[in-house]
Amino acid sequence: MRDFLELAVSATASGCVYGLIALAYLLMIRPTGIINFAVGEWAMVAAFGGYVFLTKYELHYLLGMGIVLAFMLVVGWVSERIAVRPLVEKGTAILAPILALLGVLVITREIISISFPPDPLPVPYPFELQHQKYFIIGVTAVVFLGFWAFFEKTLWGKSFEAVALNRRAAALMGINLSRVTAFSFAGGAAVAGLGGLLVSPNISAHYLMGVPLAIQGFTALVIGGVGRVEGALIGGLLLAFAEQLTIRYAPIPSGFAQGVPLLFLMIFLIVRPTGLLRARA
Amino acid sequence: MRWLAAFVALAAAAFFLGDYHNDVYRKMLLWVMLALGYNFLFGICGQIAFSHFAFYGIGAYSVVILLFQLNVPLPLAILLGVAVCVVVALAVAIPSTRLEGFYLALATLALAQLFVVVLNEGGAVTGGTGGIANYRLPPIFGFQLRGPWYTAVIVFVLLMTLWILIKLDRSWFGRACRAVRDNPEAAAAMGIDVARTKVIAFTVTSALAGVAGMTYAFVDNTVNPPIFGLDNAFLLLFMVIVGGSGRHAGAAIGAVLLFLLPFWLSPLVGHHHVLVFGVLMLAAILLQPKGLIGLWDRYSR
Repeated sequence: MRDFLELAVSATASGCVYGLIALAYLLMIRPTGIINFAVGEWAMVAAFGGYVFLTKYELHYLLGMGIVLAFMLVVGWVSERIAVRPLVEKGTAILAPILALLGVLVITREIISISFPPDPLPVPYPFELQHQKYFIIGVTAVVFLGFWAFFEKTLWGKSFEAVALNRRAAALMGINLSRVTAFSFAGGAAVAGLGGLLVSPNISAHYLMGVPLAIQGFTALVIGGVGRVEGALIGGLLLAFAEQLTIRYAPIPSGFAQGVPLLFLMIFLIVRPTGLLRARA
Repeated sequence: MRWLAAFVALAAAAFFLGDYHNDVYRKMLLWVMLALGYNFLFGICGQIAFSHFAFYGIGAYSVVILLFQLNVPLPLAILLGVAVCVVVALAVAIPSTRLEGFYLALATLALAQLFVVVLNEGGAVTGGTGGIANYRLPPIFGFQLRGPWYTAVIVFVLLMTLWILIKLDRSWFGRACRAVRDNPEAAAAMGIDVARTKVIAFTVTSALAGVAGMTYAFVDNTVNPPIFGLDNAFLLLFMVIVGGSGRHAGAAIGAVLLFLLPFWLSPLVGHHHVLVFGVLMLAAILLQPKGLIGLWDRYSR
Protein backbone atom coordinates (compact mmCIF):
# COMPACT_ATOMS: atom_id res chain seq x y z
CA MET A 1 0.00 0.00 0.00
CA ARG A 2 2.77 2.37 1.01
CA ASP A 3 4.53 1.36 -2.16
CA PHE A 4 1.46 2.21 -4.19
CA LEU A 5 1.05 5.60 -2.49
CA GLU A 6 4.62 6.52 -3.32
CA LEU A 7 4.01 5.50 -6.90
CA ALA A 8 0.83 7.58 -6.99
CA VAL A 9 2.66 10.69 -5.75
CA SER A 10 5.50 10.34 -8.23
CA ALA A 11 3.06 9.61 -11.07
CA THR A 12 1.07 12.71 -10.13
CA ALA A 13 4.25 14.79 -10.17
CA SER A 14 5.35 13.60 -13.61
CA GLY A 15 1.76 13.88 -14.82
CA CYS A 16 1.87 17.54 -13.78
CA VAL A 17 4.99 18.09 -15.90
CA TYR A 18 3.33 16.43 -18.92
CA GLY A 19 0.26 18.54 -18.24
CA LEU A 20 2.34 21.73 -18.32
CA ILE A 21 3.89 20.77 -21.67
CA ALA A 22 0.41 19.90 -22.98
CA LEU A 23 -0.82 23.28 -21.76
CA ALA A 24 2.01 24.96 -23.67
CA TYR A 25 0.89 23.22 -26.87
CA LEU A 26 -2.71 24.12 -26.15
CA LEU A 27 -1.99 27.82 -25.58
CA MET A 28 -0.54 28.03 -29.09
CA ILE A 29 -2.87 25.62 -30.91
CA ARG A 30 -6.11 27.19 -29.67
CA PRO A 31 -5.75 30.66 -31.18
CA THR A 32 -3.46 29.86 -34.14
CA GLY A 33 -3.89 26.20 -35.10
CA ILE A 34 -0.11 25.86 -35.06
CA ILE A 35 1.40 22.77 -33.46
CA ASN A 36 4.74 23.91 -32.13
CA PHE A 37 7.05 20.92 -31.73
CA ALA A 38 9.67 23.19 -30.18
CA VAL A 39 7.95 23.11 -26.76
CA GLY A 40 10.20 20.23 -25.73
CA GLU A 41 13.28 22.28 -26.66
CA TRP A 42 11.88 25.24 -24.73
CA ALA A 43 11.59 23.04 -21.65
CA MET A 44 15.21 22.05 -22.28
CA VAL A 45 16.34 25.70 -22.58
CA ALA A 46 14.68 26.50 -19.24
CA ALA A 47 16.40 23.51 -17.63
CA PHE A 48 19.76 24.91 -18.79
CA GLY A 49 18.64 28.30 -17.49
CA GLY A 50 18.11 26.57 -14.16
CA TYR A 51 21.65 25.22 -14.33
CA VAL A 52 23.13 28.64 -15.09
CA PHE A 53 21.23 30.70 -12.50
CA LEU A 54 20.69 28.16 -9.73
CA THR A 55 23.73 25.87 -9.90
CA LYS A 56 26.39 28.20 -11.26
CA TYR A 57 25.39 31.58 -9.79
CA GLU A 58 23.55 30.02 -6.83
CA LEU A 59 20.71 32.52 -6.86
CA HIS A 60 17.75 32.07 -4.54
CA TYR A 61 15.41 29.52 -6.12
CA LEU A 62 12.44 31.84 -6.60
CA LEU A 63 14.60 34.64 -8.00
CA GLY A 64 16.33 32.23 -10.42
CA MET A 65 12.99 30.79 -11.46
CA GLY A 66 11.65 34.28 -12.11
CA ILE A 67 14.63 35.17 -14.30
CA VAL A 68 14.35 31.92 -16.27
CA LEU A 69 10.62 32.35 -16.86
CA ALA A 70 11.06 35.97 -17.94
CA PHE A 71 13.75 34.80 -20.34
CA MET A 72 11.38 32.14 -21.70
CA LEU A 73 8.73 34.80 -22.38
CA VAL A 74 11.32 36.56 -24.53
CA VAL A 75 12.31 33.30 -26.26
CA GLY A 76 8.68 32.58 -27.15
CA TRP A 77 8.09 36.12 -28.36
CA VAL A 78 11.25 36.15 -30.50
CA SER A 79 10.39 32.75 -32.03
CA GLU A 80 6.97 34.05 -32.96
CA ARG A 81 8.49 37.19 -34.48
CA ILE A 82 11.03 35.25 -36.57
CA ALA A 83 9.24 32.09 -37.59
CA VAL A 84 5.50 32.74 -37.38
CA ARG A 85 4.52 36.34 -37.96
CA PRO A 86 6.23 36.91 -41.34
CA LEU A 87 4.55 33.77 -42.70
CA VAL A 88 1.12 34.55 -41.27
CA GLU A 89 1.32 38.05 -42.73
CA LYS A 90 2.22 36.57 -46.11
CA GLY A 91 -0.87 34.40 -45.85
CA THR A 92 0.88 31.05 -46.29
CA ALA A 93 -0.70 27.71 -45.38
CA ILE A 94 -0.51 26.67 -41.75
CA LEU A 95 2.17 24.12 -42.64
CA ALA A 96 4.80 26.81 -43.29
CA PRO A 97 5.02 28.21 -39.73
CA ILE A 98 4.99 24.65 -38.33
CA LEU A 99 8.02 23.81 -40.48
CA ALA A 100 9.70 27.11 -39.66
CA LEU A 101 9.29 26.27 -35.96
CA LEU A 102 10.96 22.91 -36.61
CA GLY A 103 13.91 24.93 -37.93
CA VAL A 104 13.80 26.98 -34.72
CA LEU A 105 13.75 23.72 -32.75
CA VAL A 106 16.94 22.46 -34.37
CA ILE A 107 18.68 25.84 -34.12
CA THR A 108 17.76 26.09 -30.43
CA ARG A 109 19.07 22.63 -29.68
CA GLU A 110 22.31 23.20 -31.56
CA ILE A 111 22.97 26.52 -29.81
CA ILE A 112 22.52 24.80 -26.44
CA SER A 113 24.71 21.85 -27.41
CA ILE A 114 27.47 24.21 -28.58
CA SER A 115 27.26 26.41 -25.50
CA PHE A 116 27.29 23.74 -22.80
CA PRO A 117 29.31 20.58 -22.13
CA PRO A 118 27.66 17.42 -23.46
CA ASP A 119 27.19 15.70 -20.09
CA PRO A 120 23.96 16.05 -18.10
CA LEU A 121 24.23 19.11 -15.84
CA PRO A 122 22.75 19.21 -12.32
CA VAL A 123 19.95 21.57 -11.35
CA PRO A 124 19.26 21.93 -7.60
CA TYR A 125 16.04 21.13 -5.80
CA PRO A 126 14.15 24.15 -4.45
CA PHE A 127 13.75 22.49 -1.06
CA GLU A 128 14.82 19.12 0.19
CA LEU A 129 14.67 16.16 -2.13
CA GLN A 130 11.55 14.53 -0.70
CA HIS A 131 9.47 17.68 -1.10
CA GLN A 132 10.23 18.15 -4.81
CA LYS A 133 7.20 16.14 -5.95
CA TYR A 134 4.82 18.17 -3.79
CA PHE A 135 6.45 21.36 -5.05
CA ILE A 136 5.81 20.30 -8.66
CA ILE A 137 2.20 19.40 -7.87
CA GLY A 138 1.59 22.68 -6.01
CA VAL A 139 3.12 24.92 -8.68
CA THR A 140 1.23 23.10 -11.44
CA ALA A 141 -2.05 23.44 -9.56
CA VAL A 142 -1.48 27.20 -9.21
CA VAL A 143 -0.62 27.56 -12.92
CA PHE A 144 -3.67 25.62 -14.09
CA LEU A 145 -5.98 27.49 -11.71
CA GLY A 146 -4.52 30.74 -12.98
CA PHE A 147 -5.04 29.87 -16.64
CA TRP A 148 -8.50 28.50 -15.96
CA ALA A 149 -9.49 31.74 -14.23
CA PHE A 150 -7.85 33.74 -17.04
CA PHE A 151 -9.86 32.01 -19.75
CA GLU A 152 -13.12 31.86 -17.83
CA LYS A 153 -13.20 35.15 -15.96
CA THR A 154 -11.22 37.84 -17.77
CA LEU A 155 -12.02 39.78 -20.91
CA TRP A 156 -8.51 39.01 -22.19
CA GLY A 157 -9.10 35.30 -21.80
CA LYS A 158 -12.43 35.61 -23.58
CA SER A 159 -10.72 37.31 -26.51
CA PHE A 160 -8.33 34.33 -26.76
CA GLU A 161 -11.35 32.03 -26.87
CA ALA A 162 -12.97 34.19 -29.50
CA VAL A 163 -9.88 33.92 -31.70
CA ALA A 164 -9.83 30.15 -31.16
CA LEU A 165 -13.45 29.83 -32.25
CA ASN A 166 -13.34 32.06 -35.29
CA ARG A 167 -10.34 34.17 -36.33
CA ARG A 168 -12.15 36.29 -38.88
CA ALA A 169 -15.08 37.10 -36.63
CA ALA A 170 -12.72 37.89 -33.75
CA ALA A 171 -10.70 40.23 -35.94
CA LEU A 172 -13.88 41.98 -37.06
CA MET A 173 -14.88 42.46 -33.41
CA GLY A 174 -11.72 44.48 -32.93
CA ILE A 175 -9.47 41.86 -31.35
CA ASN A 176 -5.81 42.36 -32.30
CA LEU A 177 -4.91 38.98 -33.80
CA SER A 178 -1.17 39.44 -33.93
CA ARG A 179 -1.09 40.53 -30.30
CA VAL A 180 -3.04 37.43 -29.25
CA THR A 181 -0.63 35.26 -31.27
CA ALA A 182 2.43 36.93 -29.71
CA PHE A 183 1.03 36.46 -26.20
CA SER A 184 0.12 32.84 -26.84
CA PHE A 185 3.70 32.06 -27.95
CA ALA A 186 5.28 33.96 -25.07
CA GLY A 187 2.92 32.24 -22.62
CA GLY A 188 3.48 28.85 -24.23
CA ALA A 189 7.24 29.20 -23.93
CA ALA A 190 6.99 30.25 -20.28
CA VAL A 191 4.69 27.33 -19.39
CA ALA A 192 6.88 24.82 -21.28
CA GLY A 193 9.92 26.35 -19.58
CA LEU A 194 8.30 25.96 -16.18
CA GLY A 195 7.72 22.28 -16.96
CA GLY A 196 11.36 21.86 -17.94
CA LEU A 197 12.62 23.70 -14.86
CA LEU A 198 10.45 21.60 -12.53
CA VAL A 199 11.51 18.27 -14.02
CA SER A 200 15.21 19.16 -14.41
CA PRO A 201 16.37 18.32 -10.84
CA ASN A 202 15.23 14.72 -11.41
CA ILE A 203 16.60 14.12 -14.89
CA SER A 204 19.37 16.80 -15.09
CA ALA A 205 19.69 19.34 -17.88
CA HIS A 206 20.66 17.62 -21.11
CA TYR A 207 20.36 18.83 -24.67
CA LEU A 208 18.44 15.72 -25.75
CA MET A 209 15.79 15.94 -23.03
CA GLY A 210 13.37 17.88 -25.25
CA VAL A 211 12.00 15.29 -27.68
CA PRO A 212 10.64 12.80 -25.10
CA LEU A 213 8.92 15.68 -23.27
CA ALA A 214 7.46 16.94 -26.55
CA ILE A 215 6.03 13.48 -27.28
CA GLN A 216 4.64 12.94 -23.80
CA GLY A 217 3.12 16.41 -23.67
CA PHE A 218 1.42 15.99 -27.01
CA THR A 219 0.07 12.58 -26.03
CA ALA A 220 -1.37 14.17 -22.88
CA LEU A 221 -2.99 16.78 -25.09
CA VAL A 222 -4.54 14.15 -27.38
CA ILE A 223 -5.87 12.24 -24.36
CA GLY A 224 -7.39 15.33 -22.75
CA GLY A 225 -8.52 17.04 -25.92
CA VAL A 226 -7.45 20.45 -27.21
CA GLY A 227 -10.74 22.09 -26.26
CA ARG A 228 -10.21 22.89 -22.59
CA VAL A 229 -7.41 23.82 -20.22
CA GLU A 230 -8.33 21.10 -17.69
CA GLY A 231 -7.98 18.48 -20.43
CA ALA A 232 -4.22 19.03 -20.60
CA LEU A 233 -3.79 18.26 -16.90
CA ILE A 234 -6.12 15.25 -16.89
CA GLY A 235 -4.38 13.86 -19.98
CA GLY A 236 -0.96 14.34 -18.38
CA LEU A 237 -2.02 12.58 -15.17
CA LEU A 238 -3.59 9.63 -17.01
CA LEU A 239 -0.50 9.20 -19.18
CA ALA A 240 1.87 9.36 -16.21
CA PHE A 241 -0.14 6.78 -14.23
CA ALA A 242 -0.24 4.46 -17.23
CA GLU A 243 3.54 4.81 -17.68
CA GLN A 244 4.43 4.28 -14.01
CA LEU A 245 2.07 1.33 -13.58
CA THR A 246 3.54 -0.28 -16.70
CA ILE A 247 7.10 0.14 -15.43
CA ARG A 248 6.16 -1.12 -11.97
CA TYR A 249 3.95 -4.10 -12.75
CA ALA A 250 4.53 -5.18 -16.35
CA PRO A 251 7.45 -7.57 -16.91
CA ILE A 252 9.17 -5.59 -19.68
CA PRO A 253 12.45 -3.61 -19.74
CA SER A 254 11.96 -0.09 -18.41
CA GLY A 255 13.12 1.43 -21.71
CA PHE A 256 9.92 0.19 -23.29
CA ALA A 257 7.93 2.55 -21.08
CA GLN A 258 8.72 5.06 -23.83
CA GLY A 259 6.32 3.02 -25.94
CA VAL A 260 3.39 3.79 -23.62
CA PRO A 261 2.75 7.27 -25.09
CA LEU A 262 2.72 5.85 -28.63
CA LEU A 263 0.28 3.13 -27.59
CA PHE A 264 -1.96 5.67 -25.85
CA LEU A 265 -1.79 8.00 -28.82
CA MET A 266 -2.93 5.22 -31.15
CA ILE A 267 -5.72 4.01 -28.84
CA PHE A 268 -7.11 7.49 -28.33
CA LEU A 269 -6.90 8.38 -32.01
CA ILE A 270 -8.94 5.27 -32.81
CA VAL A 271 -11.42 5.28 -29.94
CA ARG A 272 -11.88 8.89 -28.96
CA PRO A 273 -10.21 11.31 -31.38
CA THR A 274 -11.69 14.41 -29.74
CA GLY A 275 -10.10 13.61 -26.39
CA LEU A 276 -11.81 13.04 -23.07
CA LEU A 277 -13.15 16.57 -22.64
CA ARG A 278 -15.15 18.29 -25.31
CA ALA A 279 -14.82 21.99 -26.02
CA ARG A 280 -17.62 24.13 -24.64
CA ALA A 281 -20.02 25.34 -27.29
CA MET B 1 16.67 3.90 -72.89
CA ARG B 2 17.24 7.05 -70.88
CA TRP B 3 16.99 4.94 -67.74
CA LEU B 4 19.67 2.58 -69.08
CA ALA B 5 21.95 5.51 -69.91
CA ALA B 6 21.43 6.95 -66.42
CA PHE B 7 22.21 3.56 -64.89
CA VAL B 8 25.41 3.14 -66.90
CA ALA B 9 26.58 6.67 -66.17
CA LEU B 10 25.87 6.55 -62.42
CA ALA B 11 27.24 3.03 -62.00
CA ALA B 12 30.34 3.66 -64.12
CA ALA B 13 31.26 6.62 -61.92
CA ALA B 14 31.81 4.17 -59.07
CA PHE B 15 34.58 2.36 -60.97
CA PHE B 16 36.66 5.54 -61.21
CA LEU B 17 36.51 6.26 -57.49
CA GLY B 18 38.83 5.02 -54.77
CA ASP B 19 37.55 3.04 -51.79
CA TYR B 20 36.89 6.07 -49.62
CA HIS B 21 35.14 8.09 -52.31
CA ASN B 22 33.17 5.06 -53.36
CA ASP B 23 31.86 4.82 -49.80
CA VAL B 24 30.90 8.52 -49.77
CA TYR B 25 29.29 8.13 -53.20
CA ARG B 26 27.17 5.16 -52.07
CA LYS B 27 25.92 6.97 -49.01
CA MET B 28 25.06 9.99 -51.09
CA LEU B 29 23.02 7.76 -53.43
CA LEU B 30 21.20 6.30 -50.43
CA TRP B 31 20.36 9.76 -49.12
CA VAL B 32 19.03 10.72 -52.54
CA MET B 33 16.90 7.58 -52.50
CA LEU B 34 15.48 8.46 -49.07
CA ALA B 35 14.91 12.10 -50.01
CA LEU B 36 13.01 11.10 -53.16
CA GLY B 37 10.64 8.89 -51.18
CA TYR B 38 10.25 11.47 -48.44
CA ASN B 39 9.56 14.13 -51.02
CA PHE B 40 6.63 12.08 -52.32
CA LEU B 41 5.20 11.81 -48.81
CA PHE B 42 5.91 15.35 -47.67
CA GLY B 43 6.20 17.43 -50.81
CA ILE B 44 3.59 15.79 -53.00
CA CYS B 45 1.15 14.38 -50.45
CA GLY B 46 1.71 17.11 -47.82
CA GLN B 47 2.19 14.90 -44.77
CA ILE B 48 4.85 15.49 -42.13
CA ALA B 49 6.28 12.26 -40.78
CA PHE B 50 9.44 11.65 -38.80
CA SER B 51 9.48 7.92 -39.32
CA HIS B 52 11.04 7.73 -42.77
CA PHE B 53 14.48 7.17 -41.34
CA ALA B 54 13.10 4.68 -38.80
CA PHE B 55 11.71 2.63 -41.70
CA TYR B 56 15.16 2.76 -43.29
CA GLY B 57 16.37 1.19 -40.05
CA ILE B 58 13.50 -1.30 -39.88
CA GLY B 59 14.36 -2.45 -43.40
CA ALA B 60 18.06 -2.79 -42.61
CA TYR B 61 17.54 -4.63 -39.33
CA SER B 62 14.79 -6.88 -40.74
CA VAL B 63 16.89 -8.14 -43.60
CA VAL B 64 19.94 -8.74 -41.41
CA ILE B 65 17.97 -10.54 -38.70
CA LEU B 66 16.06 -12.64 -41.24
CA LEU B 67 19.18 -13.59 -43.16
CA PHE B 68 21.65 -14.31 -40.42
CA GLN B 69 19.62 -15.21 -37.35
CA LEU B 70 16.67 -17.01 -38.94
CA ASN B 71 18.61 -18.21 -42.00
CA VAL B 72 15.93 -17.15 -44.47
CA PRO B 73 17.07 -17.15 -48.14
CA LEU B 74 17.80 -13.68 -49.60
CA PRO B 75 14.77 -13.16 -51.92
CA LEU B 76 12.35 -14.24 -49.19
CA ALA B 77 14.17 -12.08 -46.63
CA ILE B 78 13.73 -9.03 -48.87
CA LEU B 79 10.02 -9.72 -49.32
CA LEU B 80 9.49 -10.31 -45.61
CA GLY B 81 11.43 -7.13 -44.80
CA VAL B 82 9.12 -5.13 -47.04
CA ALA B 83 6.14 -6.85 -45.41
CA VAL B 84 7.37 -5.81 -41.94
CA CYS B 85 7.63 -2.17 -43.10
CA VAL B 86 4.14 -2.29 -44.62
CA VAL B 87 2.56 -3.73 -41.46
CA VAL B 88 4.22 -1.18 -39.16
CA ALA B 89 3.34 1.66 -41.54
CA LEU B 90 -0.32 0.63 -41.68
CA ALA B 91 -0.51 0.30 -37.90
CA VAL B 92 0.73 3.87 -37.48
CA ALA B 93 -1.01 5.51 -40.43
CA ILE B 94 -4.55 4.17 -40.12
CA PRO B 95 -5.30 5.74 -36.72
CA SER B 96 -3.22 8.89 -37.34
CA THR B 97 -4.78 9.91 -40.64
CA ARG B 98 -8.38 9.58 -39.45
CA LEU B 99 -8.17 13.17 -38.27
CA GLU B 100 -7.33 16.49 -39.79
CA GLY B 101 -4.08 17.99 -38.64
CA PHE B 102 -0.66 16.76 -37.77
CA TYR B 103 -1.29 13.67 -35.71
CA LEU B 104 0.83 11.62 -38.09
CA ALA B 105 3.81 13.84 -37.28
CA LEU B 106 3.54 13.09 -33.57
CA ALA B 107 2.72 9.41 -33.96
CA THR B 108 5.74 8.95 -36.22
CA LEU B 109 7.95 11.01 -33.90
CA ALA B 110 6.98 8.63 -31.10
CA LEU B 111 7.55 5.64 -33.39
CA ALA B 112 11.02 6.86 -34.37
CA GLN B 113 11.90 7.40 -30.71
CA LEU B 114 10.54 3.99 -29.76
CA PHE B 115 12.40 2.25 -32.59
CA VAL B 116 15.78 3.29 -31.19
CA VAL B 117 14.70 2.12 -27.73
CA VAL B 118 13.65 -1.27 -29.12
CA LEU B 119 17.02 -1.60 -30.88
CA ASN B 120 18.90 -0.84 -27.67
CA GLU B 121 16.79 -3.14 -25.49
CA GLY B 122 16.39 -5.91 -28.04
CA GLY B 123 19.03 -8.20 -26.50
CA ALA B 124 20.35 -10.95 -28.72
CA VAL B 125 17.84 -10.29 -31.53
CA THR B 126 18.97 -6.75 -32.33
CA GLY B 127 22.40 -7.01 -30.74
CA GLY B 128 21.59 -4.26 -28.20
CA THR B 129 23.65 -1.07 -28.22
CA GLY B 130 26.41 -2.65 -30.29
CA GLY B 131 24.06 -3.69 -33.07
CA ILE B 132 24.91 -6.50 -35.48
CA ALA B 133 28.15 -6.63 -37.42
CA ASN B 134 30.48 -9.04 -39.23
CA TYR B 135 28.07 -10.39 -41.77
CA ARG B 136 28.38 -10.38 -45.51
CA LEU B 137 25.98 -10.26 -48.45
CA PRO B 138 25.21 -13.84 -49.53
CA PRO B 139 26.38 -14.65 -53.06
CA ILE B 140 23.78 -13.93 -55.76
CA PHE B 141 23.80 -16.59 -58.52
CA GLY B 142 27.24 -17.55 -57.31
CA PHE B 143 28.66 -13.99 -57.54
CA GLN B 144 29.98 -12.19 -54.51
CA LEU B 145 29.07 -8.56 -55.15
CA ARG B 146 31.50 -6.09 -53.66
CA GLY B 147 33.18 -2.73 -54.25
CA PRO B 148 31.91 -0.80 -57.28
CA TRP B 149 29.72 -3.75 -58.30
CA TYR B 150 27.66 -3.33 -55.16
CA THR B 151 27.46 0.40 -55.90
CA ALA B 152 25.85 -0.61 -59.20
CA VAL B 153 23.21 -2.49 -57.21
CA ILE B 154 22.54 0.69 -55.21
CA VAL B 155 22.25 2.70 -58.43
CA PHE B 156 19.78 0.12 -59.71
CA VAL B 157 17.63 0.34 -56.56
CA LEU B 158 17.80 4.14 -56.68
CA LEU B 159 16.60 4.27 -60.28
CA MET B 160 13.90 1.73 -59.52
CA THR B 161 12.70 3.92 -56.63
CA LEU B 162 12.71 6.99 -58.85
CA TRP B 163 10.85 5.12 -61.61
CA ILE B 164 8.14 3.94 -59.20
CA LEU B 165 7.75 7.43 -57.75
CA ILE B 166 7.54 9.12 -61.16
CA LYS B 167 4.98 6.56 -62.34
CA LEU B 168 2.95 7.08 -59.16
CA ASP B 169 3.26 10.85 -59.43
CA ARG B 170 1.96 10.89 -63.00
CA SER B 171 -0.90 8.49 -62.35
CA TRP B 172 -4.31 9.38 -60.92
CA PHE B 173 -2.86 8.56 -57.52
CA GLY B 174 -0.22 11.29 -57.75
CA ARG B 175 -2.86 13.84 -58.72
CA ALA B 176 -5.04 12.64 -55.84
CA CYS B 177 -2.08 13.17 -53.49
CA ARG B 178 -1.52 16.72 -54.72
CA ALA B 179 -5.23 17.46 -54.39
CA VAL B 180 -5.19 16.16 -50.81
CA ARG B 181 -2.16 18.32 -50.04
CA ASP B 182 -3.59 21.51 -51.52
CA ASN B 183 -7.14 21.26 -50.27
CA PRO B 184 -8.45 18.15 -48.49
CA GLU B 185 -12.07 19.35 -48.49
CA ALA B 186 -12.08 19.99 -52.24
CA ALA B 187 -10.36 16.64 -52.83
CA ALA B 188 -13.01 14.85 -50.79
CA ALA B 189 -15.71 16.70 -52.71
CA MET B 190 -14.21 15.39 -55.95
CA GLY B 191 -14.62 11.85 -54.69
CA ILE B 192 -11.09 11.20 -53.43
CA ASP B 193 -10.89 9.13 -50.27
CA VAL B 194 -8.55 11.46 -48.35
CA ALA B 195 -7.67 9.13 -45.48
CA ARG B 196 -7.03 6.19 -47.81
CA THR B 197 -4.84 8.29 -50.10
CA LYS B 198 -2.75 9.41 -47.13
CA VAL B 199 -2.42 5.87 -45.76
CA ILE B 200 -1.35 4.47 -49.14
CA ALA B 201 1.18 7.26 -49.74
CA PHE B 202 2.65 6.76 -46.27
CA THR B 203 2.82 2.98 -46.63
CA VAL B 204 4.37 3.00 -50.10
CA THR B 205 7.05 5.56 -49.22
CA SER B 206 7.79 3.78 -45.94
CA ALA B 207 8.25 0.50 -47.80
CA LEU B 208 10.62 2.25 -50.25
CA ALA B 209 12.58 3.59 -47.28
CA GLY B 210 12.74 0.00 -46.01
CA VAL B 211 14.18 -1.16 -49.32
CA ALA B 212 16.78 1.62 -49.16
CA GLY B 213 17.63 0.40 -45.66
CA MET B 214 18.12 -3.14 -46.95
CA THR B 215 20.64 -1.94 -49.49
CA TYR B 216 22.33 0.10 -46.78
CA ALA B 217 22.71 -2.99 -44.58
CA PHE B 218 25.46 -4.28 -46.89
CA VAL B 219 27.25 -0.96 -47.38
CA ASP B 220 28.94 -0.86 -43.99
CA ASN B 221 28.11 -4.48 -43.15
CA THR B 222 26.97 -3.32 -39.73
CA VAL B 223 23.70 -2.03 -38.31
CA ASN B 224 23.57 -0.29 -34.92
CA PRO B 225 21.17 2.04 -33.08
CA PRO B 226 23.04 5.39 -33.38
CA ILE B 227 22.81 5.27 -37.20
CA PHE B 228 19.02 5.35 -37.11
CA GLY B 229 18.52 8.16 -34.58
CA LEU B 230 15.99 10.93 -34.83
CA ASP B 231 18.46 13.58 -36.03
CA ASN B 232 18.55 12.06 -39.47
CA ALA B 233 14.76 12.24 -39.73
CA PHE B 234 15.01 16.01 -39.38
CA LEU B 235 17.89 16.13 -41.83
CA LEU B 236 15.71 14.42 -44.43
CA LEU B 237 12.99 17.03 -43.98
CA PHE B 238 15.57 19.80 -44.36
CA MET B 239 16.97 18.24 -47.53
CA VAL B 240 13.56 18.21 -49.18
CA ILE B 241 12.66 21.75 -48.09
CA VAL B 242 16.02 23.31 -49.02
CA GLY B 243 16.08 21.50 -52.37
CA GLY B 244 12.48 22.24 -53.23
CA SER B 245 9.57 20.17 -51.95
CA GLY B 246 7.20 18.55 -54.40
CA ARG B 247 9.85 18.15 -57.12
CA HIS B 248 11.95 15.03 -57.64
CA ALA B 249 14.89 17.07 -58.89
CA GLY B 250 14.57 19.39 -55.91
CA ALA B 251 14.71 16.54 -53.43
CA ALA B 252 17.76 15.07 -55.18
CA ILE B 253 19.59 18.41 -55.21
CA GLY B 254 18.76 19.03 -51.55
CA ALA B 255 20.00 15.57 -50.59
CA VAL B 256 23.29 15.92 -52.49
CA LEU B 257 23.91 19.42 -51.16
CA LEU B 258 23.13 18.74 -47.51
CA PHE B 259 25.01 15.43 -47.63
CA LEU B 260 28.16 17.01 -49.05
CA LEU B 261 27.96 20.27 -47.09
CA PRO B 262 29.40 18.82 -43.83
CA PHE B 263 32.54 17.73 -45.74
CA TRP B 264 33.19 21.34 -46.75
CA LEU B 265 31.94 22.89 -43.54
CA SER B 266 33.79 20.71 -41.05
CA PRO B 267 37.04 22.75 -41.20
CA LEU B 268 34.96 25.85 -40.40
CA VAL B 269 32.38 24.74 -37.87
CA GLY B 270 33.47 21.26 -36.75
CA HIS B 271 30.55 19.01 -35.92
CA HIS B 272 28.02 21.80 -35.69
CA HIS B 273 26.86 21.70 -39.29
CA VAL B 274 23.30 20.87 -38.09
CA LEU B 275 23.07 24.49 -36.92
CA VAL B 276 23.86 25.61 -40.46
CA PHE B 277 21.18 23.21 -41.78
CA GLY B 278 18.62 24.67 -39.39
CA VAL B 279 19.41 28.21 -40.53
CA LEU B 280 19.31 27.16 -44.20
CA MET B 281 15.94 25.50 -43.74
CA LEU B 282 14.47 28.49 -41.90
CA ALA B 283 15.81 30.81 -44.60
CA ALA B 284 14.31 28.58 -47.30
CA ILE B 285 10.85 28.67 -45.73
CA LEU B 286 10.90 32.40 -45.06
CA LEU B 287 12.55 33.58 -48.28
CA GLN B 288 12.29 30.88 -50.92
CA PRO B 289 9.48 28.40 -50.16
CA LYS B 290 10.08 26.60 -53.45
CA GLY B 291 13.65 25.80 -52.47
CA LEU B 292 16.76 25.78 -54.64
CA ILE B 293 14.88 24.34 -57.58
CA GLY B 294 12.59 27.37 -57.41
CA LEU B 295 15.65 29.65 -57.63
CA TRP B 296 16.87 27.68 -60.63
CA ASP B 297 13.50 28.05 -62.34
CA ARG B 298 13.57 31.79 -61.84
CA TYR B 299 17.06 32.28 -63.29
CA SER B 300 16.72 29.85 -66.16
CA ARG B 301 13.62 31.64 -67.40
